[in-house]
Amino acid sequence: MSTLDRIKNVAVELLKIEADRVQETSRFVEDLGADSMQSIELVAAFEEEFDIEMDEDAALAVKTVIDAVKFIDKVLAEG
Amino acid sequence: MSKEQYLPLTHEAIRILKKNGCWSRHWSKIVVSKGFDPTRIAGTIFRGEVRIGRLDGHFIPKDGIRRYAGIFDANLHNVTIGDNCHISNINGWLSNLNIENNVLIENVGSIVCQGETSFGNGHSIEVLNEGGGRELKITEVTSAQTAYLTTLYRHDTALVKALNTIAENYATSVRSDRATIGEGTIIFHCQNIINVKVGKGAVLRGVQNLKEGSIASALDASTFVGDGVIAKDFIIQKGAHISDGAILHGSLIGEGSKIGKQFSAENTVLFSNSEGFHSEVCSIFGGPYTVTHHRSTLLIAGMFSFFNAGSGTNQSNHMYKLGPLHQGILERGCKTGSSSYLMWPSRVGAFSAIVGKHYANFDTSDFPFSYVNEDGGKSTLVPGMNFFTVGTMRDGLKWPTRDQRTNIDKLDQIIFNVLSPYTGQKMIKGQATLLELYASAERSQEYVSHQGILIKRLLLKTCSRYYRMALEKYFGDVLVARLANEAYTNFESFWASKPESTDGHEPWVDISGLLCSKPRVDTLLEAIKAGQILDMTTLQAEFEKIHSNYTTDEWSWVLQTLPAVFGFDASKISVDDLRAVLEKWKISSIKLLNMVEMDAAKEFEGNVRIGFGIDGYQDQDFDAVRGDFETNTFKQQLDEMRQQIHSDLDQSLNILNKY
Repeated sequence: MSTLDRIKNVAVELLKIEADRVQETSRFVEDLGADSMQSIELVAAFEEEFDIEMDEDAALAVKTVIDAVKFIDKVLAEG
Repeated sequence: MSKEQYLPLTHEAIRILKKNGCWSRHWSKIVVSKGFDPTRIAGTIFRGEVRIGRLDGHFIPKDGIRRYAGIFDANLHNVTIGDNCHISNINGWLSNLNIENNVLIENVGSIVCQGETSFGNGHSIEVLNEGGGRELKITEVTSAQTAYLTTLYRHDTALVKALNTIAENYATSVRSDRATIGEGTIIFHCQNIINVKVGKGAVLRGVQNLKEGSIASALDASTFVGDGVIAKDFIIQKGAHISDGAILHGSLIGEGSKIGKQFSAENTVLFSNSEGFHSEVCSIFGGPYTVTHHRSTLLIAGMFSFFNAGSGTNQSNHMYKLGPLHQGILERGCKTGSSSYLMWPSRVGAFSAIVGKHYANFDTSDFPFSYVNEDGGKSTLVPGMNFFTVGTMRDGLKWPTRDQRTNIDKLDQIIFNVLSPYTGQKMIKGQATLLELYASAERSQEYVSHQGILIKRLLLKTCSRYYRMALEKYFGDVLVARLANEAYTNFESFWASKPESTDGHEPWVDISGLLCSKPRVDTLLEAIKAGQILDMTTLQAEFEKIHSNYTTDEWSWVLQTLPAVFGFDASKISVDDLRAVLEKWKISSIKLLNMVEMDAAKEFEGNVRIGFGIDGYQDQDFDAVRGDFETNTFKQQLDEMRQQIHSDLDQSLNILNKY
């Protein structure tokens, strides 16, 4: 499964939204309705999903699904 | 002036007094100072023994109308009046009073002392637990620290007995059948003041009714009691400002506190720099900086400090079983959101934000800087998150700048630090607990339960990292300050600065504003119980000594704890280890600032603009009212802090490089 699909799955499950609402350009807060606490939970869920650890401040600065894909791919690539 | 220095009235003086409408059954009981001017007294009835000082000066109060020293239209009974006082329009009596020099009393009902009294000193109040069991004898010199030990250390009966004896001794020392009105005090447009001692330089204006109390005041810390205030069995400490229909019953108001706007307090202490407006407090232990401003807020049976109550904040201390027996503790720095509710008993860790209604009883004291939320009726915890909010950072910066106390002999000993060994030890424990909970939780679990509250499993590792970051910042802060302020020539001398005594060792406690190590407190408690401390002055000096040792004890704790936190070998810490501490400090400090900035930026984004630009021009209206984020003062402060981190790091590494 691609990084994008895995991110979509996490977002759908955590934010309890329909899968088709999650697009590459979707913004987690404005479009998907994540509040500040859910934003933190998303970061934690991505960490668990990909078994990685992300910089808190940099991760929280990610606004869209596609940016999350890039961010996580970069973390994965850096090993 | 001593009694011997007074002179009897001359026949000529009596003649002038009579001519001016004065009356006395026994003119011989009136004595006056040398140079007494009888033309300065008119329309006055003298009863009992009356002593009058020189009456040849004048006042110009704030209303700008000059008052000449003198006594006009007054009824005096057993009073001593100092030099240059102005007393006029006393509808009732001034009775059994020692009025010091330069006092103005104008248009009042009665100020009287009836029988022997301790003026509210030694009065016992049911603080914290409304049903009793934690009684505190309040005095005008009771500090937050003394009150804390008396109220909270009830397991130590010998200690409580000794502290009560010290309070009683103080009450006895001020016991008198005459009330003093201190030098330079102004009392005007007041109704009845009975058995009340007033310190120097106080202003009482429009007071409705005061009974059995002390108003401590000083020329460098004037206390104000104003319009419509009603108080009984009370203590008001130096520099406090009580006004606008406040009602105090069995309560102590601390130095520099502000009370007003129909606020009411019963069986309550509110120590220095507290603020109470509109709301109601009952049986609360308000440590320094306890603040409640809203009409619908009730604080009951709780302990607070550095606290801000949201509107409609409420708690229950009663379960309709054995009475109002429950109590709660919000450790320093907590705040409650609008309409939040807590069902006591609960204890909330320091610097936490409480939102929503909580019917569970929980203890989050090992999780400072947390969010206590309500999620579908359940109480949930997000540990550590509140450390990275703009609110906590702003609070930490503002408290020291808002110290309203102007007297040099401050009672409450306060350590303002947000990060300290107290919060440090909690974070170390909290971090370990979170990782243990994570290790034992099933991946299918949404929540884990701990000490009565739920924590999202997903956040356990994240929140433990928050504590890690905060700890790295704290240890680095201390190290940077130490390197900058102490002239160590080499690593050996640096390491040798580790105090040999165990005074700074764990655990650390927050004695209502005074952060200190328990070993130090225990030493004090033993001295109290051994009878080595017998009066308030000595006790106060001991608290001041503990306060002055904070930095040394903090350093001791940091050096004791640092190896375990950073994974170093305690027996051979090296310069490289310290460099590693500094590097981690830089990273965590910058992360903190970034996260705080993101939190602050939310105040300028998206939905917060709703309501701006009522008929269009939303962004322009928002910019005109709120400005833009980049030029915001706080944002600029954050930028400066970032620069400071880099320069502090360079400076600290340069010092280490010389070792």
